[in-house]
Amino acid sequence: MTNPLHLAAPMLASLILIGCGDSDPGAATSPQAGTVASPRLAYVTNGVADFWTIAKAGADAAGVDQGAEVDVLMPTGGVTDQKRMLEDLVTRQVDGIAVSPIDPGNQVDVIDAAAARTPVITHDSDAPGSARRCYIGMDNYDAGRMCGRLVKEALPDGGEIFIFVGRIEQDNARRRRQGVIDELLDRDADPERFDEPGGPLAGSKYTVLGTLTDQFDRAKAKANVEDVLSRHPDVDGMVGLFAYNPPLILEALDGAGKTGAVEVIAFDEDEETLQGIIDGSVAGTIVQNPYMYGYKSIEVLSKIARGEDPGIPEDGMIAIPARTIRAADVEAFWADLREKTGKE
Amino acid sequence: MKRAGKILGVFGLLVATCVATSALTPYFLTAYNIENLLRRTSLFGVISIGAAFVIIVGGIDLSIGSVVALVGCLLPWLLVEHGVPIWFAVPGVLLLGLLLGLCHGLLVQRVRLQPFIVTLCGLLIYRGMARGVTGDQTVGFQNGFKGLRSLVKTRFEVPGLDGFAIPSTLLILVAIATLAVIFLRFTVWGRHLLATGRNASAARHGGVRTDRYVVLAYVICAGLAGFGGMLFILDVGSAQPADFGNFYELFAIAAAVLGGCSLRGGEGSVIGVIIGAALMQVLQNAITLIDWIPDNIQYAVIGAVIIAGAISDEGFRRLLLRRRTGTP
Repeated sequence: MTNPLHLAAPMLASLILIGCGDSDPGAATSPQAGTVASPRLAYVTNGVADFWTIAKAGADAAGVDQGAEVDVLMPTGGVTDQKRMLEDLVTRQVDGIAVSPIDPGNQVDVIDAAAARTPVITHDSDAPGSARRCYIGMDNYDAGRMCGRLVKEALPDGGEIFIFVGRIEQDNARRRRQGVIDELLDRDADPERFDEPGGPLAGSKYTVLGTLTDQFDRAKAKANVEDVLSRHPDVDGMVGLFAYNPPLILEALDGAGKTGAVEVIAFDEDEETLQGIIDGSVAGTIVQNPYMYGYKSIEVLSKIARGEDPGIPEDGMIAIPARTIRAADVEAFWADLREKTGKE
Repeated sequence: MKRAGKILGVFGLLVATCVATSALTPYFLTAYNIENLLRRTSLFGVISIGAAFVIIVGGIDLSIGSVVALVGCLLPWLLVEHGVPIWFAVPGVLLLGLLLGLCHGLLVQRVRLQPFIVTLCGLLIYRGMARGVTGDQTVGFQNGFKGLRSLVKTRFEVPGLDGFAIPSTLLILVAIATLAVIFLRFTVWGRHLLATGRNASAARHGGVRTDRYVVLAYVICAGLAGFGGMLFILDVGSAQPADFGNFYELFAIAAAVLGGCSLRGGEGSVIGVIIGAALMQVLQNAITLIDWIPDNIQYAVIGAVIIAGAISDEGFRRLLLRRRTGTP
């Protein structure tokens, strides 16, 4: 019963998780990209979330329209899991891959290795400098600035705000946060700027007190909000940058009896966020268009696989702009969302 | 004597951390913060007590986080997505936790598989089940089930202490801890359980049905993990099956070991485990509240404090041994 290996549990667990790959060496040899009538395409996300379920609906719809076979893969084990998926997809000789890189700066070689064998495009989060054919998504920096403007609408007289986000090492999270900060501090647009999380950043009217991450642990995400309410009892606004952050901000505010006393500015379209906008506890939210990310990705890959012109602009970015949802437009937006996801 | 020493050690560490934190930030000793800490400690305390039972019999349970995820996701999935009545869903998911524990226990004791392997596979299987059943969709109560959620959301105002309230989760933890202490210290079954962990073959020769106690420990562990999973989801309100409860087994095991459970089995104190769980929560809280500690090094701080606790514990043990044997 004395087993010193007990402590190696997490290590072994992760090794086994990584090892459980779904390789399919038996797949038939695929024709060269550019000549395929009904291409086999893969859509790789950066994790598991409702956001990606909506994107999957778009990808599947495009698969039907384009006569393509679409496989949607959602990695759960971070960068290593995503790398394994890309490698396995290349082994399966798919005719095109759309990927949302988790850590673009350090994944260029992985993307290039895949791109050497099959057309690769990025969606949702870009990998600049890689051999990807194009990027489909919104400019996260611009969306961050839209979110910043929403903060200004909610707190016209200025105030102190705090930012909550799952991970900051992701390109989209980083740019989104920087957009919010730069807008509130009335700086010029510079998507490459990066303020280290930590000390407060003060502008003329607004102060960004700090940024906290939770690594997707919801209990931790809620605890972060509670701790900020302890540390900064007079905080005026809270910005949740990942889909699950705003509902947990609402939970924590409810627990502290501060619903409505602190302005909540959201990102993405979690149902509780949308309900919050209807109830007035959330000022508004910036939504992406994940359905179109999925749809457009498969459409572009299908065209590349068939040798048609996919219509990629000079700068390599196919923009799917973000939208601001306020109380006036929330009902219509929600109804459309339900229709696309097949809920109710 | 030794057990008391161990508890004193981790209690000292907790007090030292609290004193240091309150000296470094005025926001630590506020009613709101203390209440938050009590609630979080209670939630993690429940699953840590379960982990302690398995560790006491010399086993390990790596599936706690996945059981938290499975039960935590199934509850809103049954209630909200499928309209299953509460009186059926709640006992159902709790029973599921107990059954999973029974499987672990039987596989370890009857099939003679190593606990590490059994519960590691549990970790993988239950996570996969949670994701498969829910189709990777986030599940939540969607602002409903206020009555059920009041189980963890009720606050009992303390007269005279302005703004301070005792969270109901603390009462739940106290109830579970009391039952655990009574079981371990004041019943013959508890003593047999400890004897099984200390030296299984000796206990067996002494007439103890050690196999039953090993199975019982796994049932208690997974049962409390399931109960904890229910409390977590009631507190947080929504869960994403892919990451809900990730690594919680390590928090639980760390709290149990900090609280005086030996991974060799046979030793453990419920009070110590709760103090261990509290220490982990206070450390995380302190890192967020103190401005100059960067938030991203929190795991490093937690790891460093645990290793410091282990070293001081070992030093304390040697000191006692020297005194007892009279060697200088």
